[in-house]
Amino acid sequence: MSYCVNCGVQLDRTARRCPLCNTPILNPKETVDTTSPTPYPKEKGQVDQVKHTDLAILLFSVLGSTSAACGLINFFVVDKSSWSLYIIGVCFMLWVFFIPAVLSTKLPIYVFLLLDGIAVAVYCFLISLNTPSRVWFLELAVPITATITLLVIIFAFLIRNVHASILSGAIYLFTEIGILTVSLECFIRSFLHMEFAMTWSAIVLICCVCIDIVLITIITRSRLREAVRRRMHI
Amino acid sequence: MKKKEKKNLQQKETWYKLDLSANVYPTLQRKNFSSVYRLSVLLKEKINPKLLQEAVDMTLPRFPTFKVAIHKGLFWRYLAPNNRPGPYVQKDVANFCMPMNFKLNNRYLIRLYYYERRFSFECHHSLADGSGGMFVLQTITANYLRLLGHKIPNGGFVLDINEKSKKEETEDAYLRYATSKMRPPRTQEKAYRVRGTVEPFYTLNVIGGIMSTSEIHKKAKWYGASITEYLNAVLLYALIQKQKADRPIKERPVKLAMPVNLRRFFPSQTLRNFITMIYPTIDPRLGDYKFEEILTQVHFYMRYYLNDKFLNADITTNAATRRNPVIRIVPLFIKDFTVKQFYSRVQDKQSSAGLTNMGAITVPPGMEKYIERFDIYMGQPYSARTNCAIVSFGDTLTVNFASSIVESDVEQYFFRKLVEDGIHVKIETNRSHC
Ligand SMILES: [Zn+2]
Repeated sequence: MSYCVNCGVQLDRTARRCPLCNTPILNPKETVDTTSPTPYPKEKGQVDQVKHTDLAILLFSVLGSTSAACGLINFFVVDKSSWSLYIIGVCFMLWVFFIPAVLSTKLPIYVFLLLDGIAVAVYCFLISLNTPSRVWFLELAVPITATITLLVIIFAFLIRNVHASILSGAIYLFTEIGILTVSLECFIRSFLHMEFAMTWSAIVLICCVCIDIVLITIITRSRLREAVRRRMHI
Repeated sequence: MKKKEKKNLQQKETWYKLDLSANVYPTLQRKNFSSVYRLSVLLKEKINPKLLQEAVDMTLPRFPTFKVAIHKGLFWRYLAPNNRPGPYVQKDVANFCMPMNFKLNNRYLIRLYYYERRFSFECHHSLADGSGGMFVLQTITANYLRLLGHKIPNGGFVLDINEKSKKEETEDAYLRYATSKMRPPRTQEKAYRVRGTVEPFYTLNVIGGIMSTSEIHKKAKWYGASITEYLNAVLLYALIQKQKADRPIKERPVKLAMPVNLRRFFPSQTLRNFITMIYPTIDPRLGDYKFEEILTQVHFYMRYYLNDKFLNADITTNAATRRNPVIRIVPLFIKDFTVKQFYSRVQDKQSSAGLTNMGAITVPPGMEKYIERFDIYMGQPYSARTNCAIVSFGDTLTVNFASSIVESDVEQYFFRKLVEDGIHVKIETNRSHC
């Protein structure tokens, strides 16, 4: 029978420390019993994960059969334009979008966002197969999709890891809108072989910067923040 | 064969509405949280899992409201009989009261575990409260002992498995008794909240104290209080000390959320939920309370509130929402959202800890010599804190704390106060480093 010198409670023969205060048990007359079973089991149970296997199969078969049917009709009913590519592309895109919801994998969310971006790009590529020129795909679709994907990933990272509140979320959002409009104008101008200049995007950028400055001031001034919270509380 | 088919058909037609307080628990369901509690019995000999499984299979048909699966309706959830194989007896785990997904485990909302001499029964709170679960635990245990060749009579918590389930056992007793003209408000002041380091997903820290019932009874009597009042006061005392040690900028009242078994006040044989919450409170902003003063406060609070009038008003407030025709036709997902918001923003914040006392458990004559003691656990707390569950059997009284935080200060203050009062306490834990 060992007692904790600190708490005065009796402890189990198998205990090495007092559960209440973490004091190690030193009883020269009775060493810790390591053979008897402990009061509670040692093995930890695993929490089962729900597998939406049925849903995954259903989704896959619905989307798969739709694309297959359209492809076959397009192939057999002779038709010069390959319109079925649009539908196959949409099905593929939807399938990629639903992966994280259906399969509970341990991959980080950024991987899924990246895959979503790639899926959109692939869809654009399928559309470009039906258009006379493919320049727009390389010079507009790819850079724009890449920029948006990157911005969304950065936004997700900031919200998850840096600071998540409505105000800071708004700052991230407006900054990214500014960046996006500027890069949009760049891409469009280079596509049209125009000289680089900022016209309409500059207006949006200035607005975003102004909003950001206001928001940053509100965040850093705690009294101002409290006032906003009081007046805007929901 | 034909008879069996007919019986199956009949079973398929029955379904149960969730009882009044059961409606809350499924809405609180998260990936890492379920309202699951555990009742355990420690036998004198090592458990034979095969026989235990046999006893479970024999017993469960007697309890139709436990052999169910939960389903979503358009407006409310409901329970429907579950005829899938199981539930199976499994080896116990250290982090028990794990979250319970409604779609896994063959959709059963109960779990059965064995470890050495201990048999444990886990139940989702949407099926029954602790007293309801105790019927299942004891009936299974009695049948297990019978399979071992012992003679155990029916009675008390042991139901006759050859009998059919009675209608009164599956009733929603709240609706029958909620008749008060008064409806007290639901919201109260925010209480002190224990702050601690949250354990990683998924850990449950249990610290249990085993004491002598007569020793506690003597001490409580010496103070002029009952066992429940005394232990309530000790926990309040521990929480006040903890708040003081935290050195908060603003002190808050220390409150316990304590379920009351309404069967004591409103006769009912229901095996489902029939409890309501009371909140013994000490406000340290009024000044420093001595232990005796806390005990007096708790003593008179209980005497004042624990009567059919006050409790009826309490359950009428809850029944009013269930009866309100506008609320009834609101789609389930909106109800879920509002209930969850209300619970996590208001209800959960108005108590510092949970405390439940099931009191003295009795077993049919002849069964007590095979049982060493009972243990009950409130399960994983909804927010970071510790919950305390008390039960006694013969001269053994156990107090089990279940917490989701690393620190064990509250438990330490609690048991140290008991030791100071001259009570012999033996501590057991599932913490891996101890
Ligand atoms: Zn100690």
